[in-house]
Amino acid sequence: MLPQLKVTMEKSLAELHEAGSRSTSSLPPGPVDIIRGKSCYRRVRLNVGGLPHEVLWRTLDRLPRTRLGKLRDCNSHDSLMEVCDDYNMEENEYFFDRHPGAFTSILNFYRTGKLHMMEEMCALSFSQELDYWGIDEIYLESCCQARYHQKKEQMNEELKREADNLKDRDGEEFDNTCCAEKRQKLWDLLEKPSSSVAAKILAIISILFIVLSTIALSLNTLPELQDTDEFGQPTDNPKLAHVEAVCIAWFTMEYLLRFLSSPNKWKFFKGPLNVIDLLAILPYYVTIFLTESNKSVLQFQNVRRVVQIFRIMRILRILKLARHSTGLQSLGFTLRRSYNELGLLILFLAMGIMIFSSLVFFAEKDEEDTKFKSIPASFWWATITMTTVGYGDIYPKTLLGKIVGGLCCIAGVLVIALPIPIIVNNFSEFYKEQKRQEKALKRREALDRAKRNGSIVSMNLKEAFARSAELMDVVVEKSGGPNANHLSPSHWKWNSKRAASETSSNRSFNMQELGSPSKVRVTSPQRLNVQKLEEMYNQMAKTQSQPNLNAKDKSSRGGKQRDVIELGAIQDHSPSVFGAREGVGDMKSLSSIDSYISCATDFQENPRLPLSPALESGHQESNCFLYGPATNLSQQANAKSGQQTTGDRDPILTPMSATKSLCSESARRFFFSRNSSKTIYPKGGSRSDAESGLSPLSDSSVVSDHSLLSTEISVYTTASSGTPPKSPESTALTVFTFHDSSISKYIDADTDDDEHHRDLSDSSPSGHLLASASSKCSITKNYQRGTNHLEAAQKVLGQNCLFPLEGVRSKTHENHIVHEIARRPKVERGFQKTVDKSL
Amino acid sequence: MWRTRYADCNGSEASEETEIVVNIGGVKQVLYGDVLNRYPDTRLAELVDCLLKPSEEISLLCDDYDPDTGEFYFDRDPDAFKCIIELYYYGEIHVKRGICPICFMKEMEFWKIDSDFLDECCKCQLKEVEDELAEIAEKVRTILVDREGDPSAEGCQRFQMWLWRLMEKPDSSLPAHVIAIVSFIFILISSVVMCVGTIPDLQVEDAEGNLVEHPTLEVIETVCIGWFTVEYVLRLISAPNKVKFILAFMNIVDFMAIMPFYVVLILTSFGAGVMELANVQQAVQALRIMRIARIFKLARHSSGLQTLTSALKSSFKELGLLLMYMGVGVFLFSALGYTMEQNHPDTLFTSIPQSFWWAVITMTTVGYGDVYPKTTLGRCNAAISFLCGVIAIALPIHPIINNFVLFYNKQQVLETAAKHEIELMARRSDDGELAASPGAHRHVCGAGAWDVTVHSSCHSETSVPLLKGPTGAAQTPSVDTSFESTAEATEYFI
Repeated sequence: MLPQLKVTMEKSLAELHEAGSRSTSSLPPGPVDIIRGKSCYRRVRLNVGGLPHEVLWRTLDRLPRTRLGKLRDCNSHDSLMEVCDDYNMEENEYFFDRHPGAFTSILNFYRTGKLHMMEEMCALSFSQELDYWGIDEIYLESCCQARYHQKKEQMNEELKREADNLKDRDGEEFDNTCCAEKRQKLWDLLEKPSSSVAAKILAIISILFIVLSTIALSLNTLPELQDTDEFGQPTDNPKLAHVEAVCIAWFTMEYLLRFLSSPNKWKFFKGPLNVIDLLAILPYYVTIFLTESNKSVLQFQNVRRVVQIFRIMRILRILKLARHSTGLQSLGFTLRRSYNELGLLILFLAMGIMIFSSLVFFAEKDEEDTKFKSIPASFWWATITMTTVGYGDIYPKTLLGKIVGGLCCIAGVLVIALPIPIIVNNFSEFYKEQKRQEKALKRREALDRAKRNGSIVSMNLKEAFARSAELMDVVVEKSGGPNANHLSPSHWKWNSKRAASETSSNRSFNMQELGSPSKVRVTSPQRLNVQKLEEMYNQMAKTQSQPNLNAKDKSSRGGKQRDVIELGAIQDHSPSVFGAREGVGDMKSLSSIDSYISCATDFQENPRLPLSPALESGHQESNCFLYGPATNLSQQANAKSGQQTTGDRDPILTPMSATKSLCSESARRFFFSRNSSKTIYPKGGSRSDAESGLSPLSDSSVVSDHSLLSTEISVYTTASSGTPPKSPESTALTVFTFHDSSISKYIDADTDDDEHHRDLSDSSPSGHLLASASSKCSITKNYQRGTNHLEAAQKVLGQNCLFPLEGVRSKTHENHIVHEIARRPKVERGFQKTVDKSL
Repeated sequence: MWRTRYADCNGSEASEETEIVVNIGGVKQVLYGDVLNRYPDTRLAELVDCLLKPSEEISLLCDDYDPDTGEFYFDRDPDAFKCIIELYYYGEIHVKRGICPICFMKEMEFWKIDSDFLDECCKCQLKEVEDELAEIAEKVRTILVDREGDPSAEGCQRFQMWLWRLMEKPDSSLPAHVIAIVSFIFILISSVVMCVGTIPDLQVEDAEGNLVEHPTLEVIETVCIGWFTVEYVLRLISAPNKVKFILAFMNIVDFMAIMPFYVVLILTSFGAGVMELANVQQAVQALRIMRIARIFKLARHSSGLQTLTSALKSSFKELGLLLMYMGVGVFLFSALGYTMEQNHPDTLFTSIPQSFWWAVITMTTVGYGDVYPKTTLGRCNAAISFLCGVIAIALPIHPIINNFVLFYNKQQVLETAAKHEIELMARRSDDGELAASPGAHRHVCGAGAWDVTVHSSCHSETSVPLLKGPTGAAQTPSVDTSFESTAEATEYFI
């Protein structure tokens, strides 16, 4: 087992080596080579996300305007790189860094002209894939289309709602007028009962007042408690009138305070809950106004009638409870959303009432002293019967009438029961969603509090989804201390862990890898805007379906067999993909993953070095990237020095830090950003070139500086931050994106855990350690898979040698490749050694 | 480059057999002749025989043939092939999850495998999808007919079509929409008038002291009936198939709504001479009830009501079940109630048929209170009958509700699907015209599954966003491609 592995490892390394050296010297193939290469083959090999496909050129010609159709027409290196992510002329193979599952259906579209959607595919991610491949979604076959559009609309709706929510929260900015801070506080106090204890107490008092005023209102109508005024008419009990006045005063005060503190007055005025509040208060004042001013002028009777109407309106205050109850709110929303079904219900009932009342009228009208005097009069009977209330004030007496009545009962039961489930469905869906959002909101508030306390520096949360915040707050909860020294941490960390890694197996080895990634990674995601996040989320969902190959122990087998296993696994695992995706559905954005992973590294350290400064420094290191462009450079320099020293001391770490890039979405973008940063995003590319002389790490940081300028680039920052490790392994690994699957697993576990984490956000470090200890085992497990996989991937690559990887790499990093090469042999040896040892 | 495990286990005994390497869309597989010959009519079995034949014939059979390695290349879906190859090993085919059954049938057709080999469990699924497709196709056809009509019609026929669409298809044009709304309002008015007319206060006495309807209401009624009649006649005239039209449910309802008025008119004016006055009046009374039918006319204008009728139609069995449960319960509990209440001196349960009424009212939880038990035993019986009634109603109602929800959702799905289908058809016809000239050098796949009209499609705004910027670079090699494609066209034409 071991020697075999070693042989394959060496072989692959050697191949990579050779390829690397070739690529550094040679230029990209010219148009002539490309044309010749294309005309040599009738077929073309397409490698999409690691899954090889072979297809005839003329099949691709059927849709010349799509991405694959254009592939044929691309004759220069640059145009080819725009269409595909990588290519290999000798092998006639083109690599696309996309989801292989979706591509199968898309390729079948070329073959058969029928576009079908994989059943387990997420509609949204499928539409992303269709966009990428340049195929219009309209070509979907009708059997899949209904499902596709339904799902897509659903998703779009949800995303829109989420974006709206986010916008709402963004709107709550108190920067326009005076004493913004106080108003903000007041607003929080009144509108967000969960924000503080005082706010909670206020909310409870408010509820009590509502209940009290409603009770007073009902008691007022008891004849025993009523007084009589000078006209002999019953009026309010004076004590109850006082209660009423107090309650109204409270409501008025509340409303006014809310109004004053609201960031957007007009929006506040329009809000349905605030309209209810106003309606609850107004009748009282109108009544007072009318009785005081018009007593002598108008007729007493008229005033009285108006006053009575306004008294009835007082009962609206019971609706004020809706502010304090999610259930009531979702009921209101459900009724609003399912007005179609409600209309249907009413229509059914109306028709039934019409039919049965006229039937019973004709049946009963000849009876003596019948109560069914006319059809409108029997409407009442029909209504009461159909709703199965049955007061018994009117009932049929003839035989015919009784038959009609029996039919009416059954029809009523049926007619009412039919549309109800649709409404119920709407309600339960919305209620679930509401609950989820409420939870997210709570987390978000905890996060905000932490931010205000100064524990986190500049996380730009507005651009992240609410749900990402759920996970981010885990990052927040640590890093309490000041960021005093950024220099030392790497030493602390590496040293301590190195000791661990040498004694233990794969597991600890993996943990180390995680230590470094956090440094570089945490930077970019916060700069993402909503759309980007959405897009990335989709891609996440796609990459989910990558099989989890790690489950098998295959380190001893050759590349050939691995290929078999891969293919097999892709099919075998398709059901399990479902579960994974669900997990991600909760995630929604990449940033949360990134941040989570960064915490994961912290978690790992904790059990190893409880309460040691390494923990502290680790956080600081990851935090220092959150500061902004100014501090970034200098700190990067620091980090770089740390990295290099560790690299010298412990060469194992450098190559393995590549896994970090694999662990995220960024892996998917890895190739892309590196290869085409010059052409597509010239700004970022040129900057990184200019700065690349400094060090691999700092050059990535420069790109992340750019991320402040344009969000688009920032997406790629994650990717380019993965570039620093210059060892062949890193390049090799990025070809395969399977590691995402392990992350999704991890996220799965995490969604269960995060409630736990949230609770800990305010607690002491000791509690924090506990949490990390609990999640530790899952982390290690996942990352162990990561390495297994890593080896596998590497070997597969060595065997297949899919693309001129090194050529690609050299392009962007030629400047510093010299010293990298010098270091590489050492790195490789170190890596090999550890792998052997770990096995 | 992999062998299936089937191939591995067959490898030892079949070593002398012919080995066939197939490459299905990039996935290579080694197959053995004896295995493939189990089903001699299939395409794969033909491969075994054709090994000795000249390469021209071989290339007819597959998309590409590599004489050096003896590898047959097929430009097909490898996933579907994996399912299909199972036939040779297990004798039956299962559609893997995630593959569209329709798509899979196409693949089976290509591999020349009879659809009977598909296993029963998967056939169900296939049937479901096919049904849905058929429904969508039906819907699309009706929409298309509504929209364009029959172009072959001329003169009188064209006018008939126009009238038909005006009266029957509210979505087809603005006047048709207006007519539908007017019709709806008339139905509402006539229903209201029918109800209001029975209020004693609004009735007037005629010469004989009988209460008759108010003259204004009668005028309104006449106008409404006039409208309904015109509507019905126009529909009848424009209907392409008169018999079918008359027998349609909605048209029977229409007819029932107008017929009583005219019958009453005839009876009152001519019937007096033929029949006795009392008889005439009775007949008129009976016919008045039929005016209720006009309420059903609303169903024409509400898709929800149509869903209800179709749901009820499809759950006929459950409705029968509901009635049977109720019937059994009514019989049982009324008999029980009658026997238990018999001893009470002034019982309300005078006979078993009398107590049917009580049982129905109790079981449906209406409970008027006109008949109620007075003895303890009778009250216990009432409690039990109430419980049984709830269960008897709740149990069969569930499938009915299910049906309704199913129909309701399906209708929405169908609507969107039909809409998209029509869009797609429009797109394809547009593209078809565009593609007519430049599509000359393109080939049609050997399997013939490819839809020719799709050729030059996918020029949507979504296509390849990356290429938007450097268009110059993408366009420069156009000269090369033309040369290349023509060269390939001659070279690779099968």
